[in-house]
Amino acid sequence: MRNKARASFIVMCSLVMAVVVYAELKKGSYSPAQLGVLRQAAPIELSPDSNFQVSAYPAPGVDLAPGDGVQDVQIYCNTCHSPRYITMQPPLPAATWEAEVNKMIKTLGAPIPEENAKKIVLYLQAHYTPDTRKQ
Amino acid sequence: MAQQPGPQKPMEPFTGPGANTYWNSVGPYVTEPQKVPLILLTDRPVQLETPRNYFRTAFTPNEAFFVRWHLDGIPNSVDLKDWKLQIEGNVNKPLALSLPDLMQKFKPVSLAAVNQCSGNSRSRLQPRVPGGQWGNGAMGNAMWTGVRLRELLDMSGVKSGSLMAQFQGLETGAGPAGFGSNLFLKSIDLGNPVLDECIVAYLMNGEPLPMLNGFPVRLVVPGYFSTYWTKCLTWIRVLNAPDENYWVKTAYRVPDTPRGDTSPEDVKAGKVKMVPIGRLPVRSFLISPDGSAKIPAGMNVALRGIAFSGFGAVNRVDVSDDGGKNWMPAKLGENHGAYSFRTWEASWTAKSQGRYSLAVRATDEKGNTQPDEPVWNPGGYLWNRIERQEIVVGNAS
Repeated sequence: MRNKARASFIVMCSLVMAVVVYAELKKGSYSPAQLGVLRQAAPIELSPDSNFQVSAYPAPGVDLAPGDGVQDVQIYCNTCHSPRYITMQPPLPAATWEAEVNKMIKTLGAPIPEENAKKIVLYLQAHYTPDTRKQ
Repeated sequence: MAQQPGPQKPMEPFTGPGANTYWNSVGPYVTEPQKVPLILLTDRPVQLETPRNYFRTAFTPNEAFFVRWHLDGIPNSVDLKDWKLQIEGNVNKPLALSLPDLMQKFKPVSLAAVNQCSGNSRSRLQPRVPGGQWGNGAMGNAMWTGVRLRELLDMSGVKSGSLMAQFQGLETGAGPAGFGSNLFLKSIDLGNPVLDECIVAYLMNGEPLPMLNGFPVRLVVPGYFSTYWTKCLTWIRVLNAPDENYWVKTAYRVPDTPRGDTSPEDVKAGKVKMVPIGRLPVRSFLISPDGSAKIPAGMNVALRGIAFSGFGAVNRVDVSDDGGKNWMPAKLGENHGAYSFRTWEASWTAKSQGRYSLAVRATDEKGNTQPDEPVWNPGGYLWNRIERQEIVVGNAS
């Protein structure tokens, strides 16, 4: 009798676990693989003096498409802004990318050597136009 | 037995080349200091969008208020022992005022005002334009408390022949001096009557401003787009010559046409005269229901949302359940002043199952009404087309 109860308890536990695992598998693939993926802002030590502080602003990594010129983007574009400015954009025509890079140099003063600027334009056109954008 | 949904496709990391069809932009959530998780457009400079559900109330919580900086160097700390608001330039008596000076030497004034990014809803434009790909969440409404800008200008004694007041905050960029990538500077003509309504605000909804929204003080320019609302305001400079800097002369300019509308062809042909962006065109939004769930046929539900205009108080909001063919008036919520969000509500019963296109349209006291045509300009500014939301109504039995 006791053994029977123990056996059915084990069976019940296994069933519950199976249901939980199945439910996990059925969840949308947008679910994070683990909790804590979206981290809280770092807590900060506050002292009652006149300096009003917040913790560092997060700088999450950006997945740029791999390819020729990606290093030039990382070096030069990254001086003033995160490359997320690129990945945030909709796919843009090749001419628009060229105009954007020219605007950064001529209007906003980005000191990018001509050769590197050309490579940056070619990189953006190779990965971020309506025809070429994959990710 | 409840039916289990199959695996869902994740949200795409970008939209385009067609218009973004979502209410918000598609970026991931991020938690920044003093903020709840908001939608990340860019991390450096920080640009964060407010999710739709935070617009259920007339006042947007500070911790959910959108964030938009132009340059990478933004403060993580401000030492109030050293910080002074400086009023300088073409004035008789330059001033350097501490926060206690601002709080104690002037009569505090409070005003509810909408702060909306010039590029709010930029991701709706066709063809798409480069820039921050905001959905509708680059806006917020707060009760701002502080000092009247006019009192500060009067105290400093603006010299005759002065043309503009220039505003500079604590943000700096890595670009070379003299370029827009080095400093963010905005100016307003001294003859503009909005200067009488401006507030140098040290309170936002009765709380200190979050650092990302401009602690310790920011400029509030009621009825105008956010570009003029300088954050961490530290220098007010009276100029006796036009401001030729990038952020005034080149950026944030719109076609001098009705609604700021033009076409890529006219821009290319050099036919378009550009002027500085100004007031917020009338807009309204349906906040709930948001279309993410079905509504049972025959159920009486509340449609709720907000409306605003930078040209005068919103005095009418209409809703439609047939995509804008027939309209019925909504009930307006509490009036917090002409520059505030005005909430609205309407009760709605879909008698039968089907797909309904809910539309909402606001009108202000000057008679400005939201049009049903899109707008296009190269900066991606001034979008205020009538919003629509598809709602699926299911059989209740």
